[in-house]
Amino acid sequence: MSDQDKRPGLLGRIWGWFWSPSGVLSVGFTLIVGFMAGILFWGGFHWSMEMTNTEEFCTGCHTMETNLGEYRETIHYNNHSGVRAICSDCHVPKEWNHKVKAKVMAVKDVYHELMGTIDTPEKYEDHRLKMASQTWKKMKASDSRECRNCHNFDYMDFTIQETRAAKEHQRAIDNNMTCIDCHQGIAHRLPEGYLDEYKRVVDELAMEKGPKSLKTADANPGAIKGYLNKTTSEKTGD
Amino acid sequence: MLNFLGTIAGNILGLAGILGFTLGLMTRNLFLAAGLGAVVGFVETMGFAGFDMAKVETLDLIIAIGVGLMAGALGCAVRVKGTTV
Repeated sequence: MSDQDKRPGLLGRIWGWFWSPSGVLSVGFTLIVGFMAGILFWGGFHWSMEMTNTEEFCTGCHTMETNLGEYRETIHYNNHSGVRAICSDCHVPKEWNHKVKAKVMAVKDVYHELMGTIDTPEKYEDHRLKMASQTWKKMKASDSRECRNCHNFDYMDFTIQETRAAKEHQRAIDNNMTCIDCHQGIAHRLPEGYLDEYKRVVDELAMEKGPKSLKTADANPGAIKGYLNKTTSEKTGD
Repeated sequence: MLNFLGTIAGNILGLAGILGFTLGLMTRNLFLAAGLGAVVGFVETMGFAGFDMAKVETLDLIIAIGVGLMAGALGCAVRVKGTTV
């Protein structure tokens, strides 16, 4: 028996079958079955992913107990209207590409649960600043995208806000600030030295973004005016 | 590293991966397929940034184009291997 007549192995036969034209299925049948299978697969995939967004799933791990306890004392858990924001509302983006990215990155949470990185209150406190810092960085970089899924400056009625809140929100709009610039401890306790750490995060992001482009500078007439005044006074020696 | 892997996964399961692959299935020309995939990756990233170049992260853009390119090429390979037309 020559080498050419040799029967391929199991994998080879499956490969050959997979790529050989079908003699019994019509194009219509293949398309309809493919379409239905696609719906089933995508529905199942999406449903499974949404299951990982539930509060029960997020807090199912032992290491999430501290987070949960702190969150339960906040207005996002319990309030007069009963409208709540659960873990995924603040920590998982709604847009598909950002959501998948967040889910892949969340694999590290499983790793640290298994390794017991924060399984005691002491260890948790040791890592609190670092964990908070990572979340602040994400929120600052995305212009507090997840906060803005519910909170929108355009629809805020400052007349029914407390005077201080209305004033601060107006300042935030005027200075192009983002939610996390002020609301760092909105759902979890703030770590010691958080202000210095937040400043470091902001500086780090500014360094990563590099100098402002001409287009961005163009949109800030105050900065241009200040720069021109400064250079004029330097030239004239005033 | 996680950020990098997450961006790749997001693009594979996003427009760049799925539409890029589908467009690749429509041609036997490898370069055209890869090019179409790359265009999808570019447009997807720009679209999510509101077509504002200042909001586009260079790494995200490169990954989206790369994933689109490879998805298109893979779609083309499936077309060549799996069809006679």
